[in-house]
Amino acid sequence: MAPPVENRRRFRLLDAVILAVVAAACAYLIWRANTVLNYNWNWSRVWPFILRYDEAKEAWVPNLILIGLWTTIRIAIWSAIGAAIIGAVMGLARISQSLFFRLVAGSYVELVRNMPPLVFVFVVYFFLTSQIVPLIGIDVALRNASPATIATIEMLFGPARLLPAILSAILCMALFEGAYVTEIVRGGVQSIERGQWDAAKAMALTRVQTLRLVVLPQAIQRTLPPLAGQFISLVKDTSIVSLISIQDLTFLGNEVAATTTRLFETWIIIAVLYFLLCWSLSLAFARLETRMGKHR
Amino acid sequence: MFGLRKLALTAIAVAAVMAPVASKAQDARAALSATSAIEEIKKRGALRVGLSTFVPWAFRSKSGDLIGYEVDVSKKLAEDMGVKLELVPTAWDGIIPALIAGQFDFIIGGMTITPARNLTVNFTSPYSATGVDVVASKKLADGFKTIADFNKPNVTLSARRGTSAATTAQRLFPNATLRLFDDDAPALLEVTNDRAHAWISTVPKPAFAVLDNPNALFRPFAEPLVGQADAMAVRKGDPDSLNFLNNWIQSRTIDGWLAERQAYWFKARDWRDQQAQ
Repeated sequence: MAPPVENRRRFRLLDAVILAVVAAACAYLIWRANTVLNYNWNWSRVWPFILRYDEAKEAWVPNLILIGLWTTIRIAIWSAIGAAIIGAVMGLARISQSLFFRLVAGSYVELVRNMPPLVFVFVVYFFLTSQIVPLIGIDVALRNASPATIATIEMLFGPARLLPAILSAILCMALFEGAYVTEIVRGGVQSIERGQWDAAKAMALTRVQTLRLVVLPQAIQRTLPPLAGQFISLVKDTSIVSLISIQDLTFLGNEVAATTTRLFETWIIIAVLYFLLCWSLSLAFARLETRMGKHR
Repeated sequence: MFGLRKLALTAIAVAAVMAPVASKAQDARAALSATSAIEEIKKRGALRVGLSTFVPWAFRSKSGDLIGYEVDVSKKLAEDMGVKLELVPTAWDGIIPALIAGQFDFIIGGMTITPARNLTVNFTSPYSATGVDVVASKKLADGFKTIADFNKPNVTLSARRGTSAATTAQRLFPNATLRLFDDDAPALLEVTNDRAHAWISTVPKPAFAVLDNPNALFRPFAEPLVGQADAMAVRKGDPDSLNFLNNWIQSRTIDGWLAERQAYWFKARDWRDQQAQ
């Protein structure tokens, strides 16, 4: 039972007190940071790395930080798609009647879930994708590709010469997040009451029909909140691919910090950008949830 | 007669045994030079160089482009080879695995030759000489003058992880506490914030740090602690690349080009207006 909407929005005295305490704590921290740290704040050196004025083009052009943000968004979108596909396939395999499929999906999930992301990225990158990506022959294909193809690839994946690296990163992230999506899908399907299966069986539906017509539509609705959480988590997790030198927001942020020696300014800007990205995703998912809830 | 026939038979036998060996050696040589990075670069039409951010070796200009000594060296090398240049910025921690995995052709990133590194990659002859220097906090390390002053258990030192400066710090100050950071900037920040007594880094960074923070920092030693030689790193088993790069370095040393570039990037800071201010 959801509480009435007007109750959820009302601002109470307790809220005001808590808000005041939090604000005071923040102010104290900032004050402490300024007195304790021997640090001269200088934002002006970092701003040009977000947007700069190109005198040759006579226009404002995005600089490293925005380029990195764009790369992060690209990696997040592609690996979310990859993770959703892997998760759907593996999730269904996990509840399959075949022991073989259950074992395959089970081993995959346990292998990924029980490894720290940092270690996983290194292992997958140096032992797996560095073998697979050259094997597909992307390098050669790119050299012979027409300008139109290259333009399309650049729009979808960024600079063509970084394509093998980006693909490795996407593969890493999709494999990593796919394990969690697998478990969400399995949980969603298994949360559907036994009675639904029985009723479908009574109506002479096959297993596939039951899944497609009865179980999955209900399961998708239930898995939406955890999936939303997972995708937001995915956006943040993409920062680990900076370890394998993918030019994402974290990696380029690091370069800007190292070049300007303005550490705090740079990392605060990076933090704000990640926050804005994830927060707008949260809002979008919240809207999607309420819209889907209406059809319940 | 008998002796002559025996000799002839032996000669034929030896030739029969040696012929495949000789052609095998030829095959091996052909295969070796075909897989040389030099051949790959010519085929690709582009030289891919791995480097990492160290001011003034390689860092970002205001427009976000990479500039610095190593960038100049790489550009000149590509120009002399008649190919395009692709710079691959890589985290310093993983730059050797990335070279081995074939992410780029060579490391041209001010890498100091160390025996440990040399076991996994091959180095060219040195093309620049640097040293390791110390920057200390005026507040914490007041009056510290000798190596013994810093080599005490209650002294904290900072350095960048995976650098030869970090190894040198471990060797010269075994009793001090060494804290390692991913980049030089946070390592230096520990000293300016009086959380570490000194920062160990490669020349000329310590001198630049003192110029930027004259009130908080000082250099306790007049001369760099140790000298070191920087070289380009190539994958093992690639004699063609080593030969080419060594000769390139030698000719660019003789004609003074390398010395002129080193003077520009390391002796003064005329390039500062290109760096984001």
